[in-house]
Amino acid sequence: MRLELGKVLIKDMQFGNQTKVENGTLFINKEEMLNAISGDDRIKGIELDIAKPGEETRIMPVKDVIEPRVKVEGPGSIFPGVLGKADVVGSGKTNVLKGAAVVTTGKIVAFQEGIIDMSGIGADYTPFSKTCNLVVVCTPTDKLQQHEHEQAVRFIGLKAANYLGEAARNVVPDEVKVYETLPFAESLKQYPNLPRVAYVYMLQTQGLMHDTYVYGVDAKKIVPTIIYPTEVMDGAILSGNCVSACDKNPTFSHCNNPVIEDLYERHGKDYNFVGVIITNENVTLMDKERSSNWTAKLAEFLSLDAVIISEEGFGNPDTDLMMNCKKISDKGIKTVLITDEYAGRDGASQSLADADRSADAVVTGGNANEVIELPAMKKVIGYLEPADIIAGGFDGSLRPDGSILAELQVITGATSEIGFNKMSATTL
Amino acid sequence: MKFIQGNYYDVLIEVRDLVHLCYELITHPLVGSVKPNETPYRSIILKQGINTDLQSVTIIENSIQTYEKFERMKSTPIWSQRILEDFQFVDLKLFESSLDSISLYS
Repeated sequence: MRLELGKVLIKDMQFGNQTKVENGTLFINKEEMLNAISGDDRIKGIELDIAKPGEETRIMPVKDVIEPRVKVEGPGSIFPGVLGKADVVGSGKTNVLKGAAVVTTGKIVAFQEGIIDMSGIGADYTPFSKTCNLVVVCTPTDKLQQHEHEQAVRFIGLKAANYLGEAARNVVPDEVKVYETLPFAESLKQYPNLPRVAYVYMLQTQGLMHDTYVYGVDAKKIVPTIIYPTEVMDGAILSGNCVSACDKNPTFSHCNNPVIEDLYERHGKDYNFVGVIITNENVTLMDKERSSNWTAKLAEFLSLDAVIISEEGFGNPDTDLMMNCKKISDKGIKTVLITDEYAGRDGASQSLADADRSADAVVTGGNANEVIELPAMKKVIGYLEPADIIAGGFDGSLRPDGSILAELQVITGATSEIGFNKMSATTL
Repeated sequence: MKFIQGNYYDVLIEVRDLVHLCYELITHPLVGSVKPNETPYRSIILKQGINTDLQSVTIIENSIQTYEKFERMKSTPIWSQRILEDFQFVDLKLFESSLDSISLYS
């Protein structure tokens, strides 16, 4: 499977008379866009706003971040099985508005949504302070249940990204990058002497508001399976997740998964990157056992030499991570884990809620308990009051002057467990 | 069905005691990625067994340690009714999701 990813570089975003890309600026016809994304009678109002890098703007509470993409050639459409048919995506040509993002906000549950600051110290901790953000603020109808609200906002966000992505359809990309994964047998023939490596991609799937979707299917209802890496780039995996902001994978991060990107970089040189095994993080121990048995079985079936395993979330997924690690290691396959830490404010406590002797190569995305002081911003898009109650915030987090004292947990993407950020640690 | 008049910690301690009486964990005690020092609610499903299940012992002990770590950092706040209802709702939905999963496969 071969995908050409065309990057249309976006440096600015403005409202205008027509939705189009011109000299690196994405112009958006607000009225047309509102028409394209409205229609859900669970939402009584949608407002659109723009937040650009360097502005004194705070976006909160952030639900999801989505990158506008469009399928230019090849089967299917972006977000298959959700906005379009369940055609197999990941081949042909896809254009992306690189530097633009859709950010959805809404007070869905009173906790567990994130903050994006476009400037100041908070901006350093989120990758989404570097994108020009079209912020979608949805006001639900009275007494709308939280999971209905989540679903409505999720679909509006996807439609918004889809609408903007269309602006890239007929634009000649500034850069084109090609990614290719051969069918397994051909790939073994092509690189017979290189170690075989795969990526075990753990998806948050604990229940309503903690879910991830694969081709529109709720991933807690799958058994682990194999997916071509380029399918992920076309939006085959998307977030429906209100878990703490710092270590959930927004849809944007799925499409840009750096583990996949980096595995491709050295594919065919140092190893043979044969593909991706997706698995879930369910609530019952039997589900955890079954899914980890299957990841290990698939790893063995592919005759792998090594895997990278990334976690999503905190707490009970630590158990899935360790089960995957142990069972894959027991097959004689080397493992490297990527997680983040809840190691206390001083970083001295036990980082994870589970451990195993085989987990001897672990990369961290940072300590989510670290305390950070976010200065007041001139403009807030969304609602500021949840600062006291979102994960990592606490009573008194929101000060009278609008500044916020809270843990890194509050910042969207701060401790990304797929490495879609800059935080980590090294042994000195 | 047992209701514990207490907080998250009291539920964990009760579950630990049951695990030592040969009950086996069906759901993970830290389900939901809601931090232990945030929600006062926790529903956990166990099944009566014959012998002590060592995996359940390890998981409940690790969960208690995790709870204590979070509680040392910051105690669970006294929440307003609206927030309590949100936490109840999430606990209920995750509980239902577990029941769904069990009935699917048992």
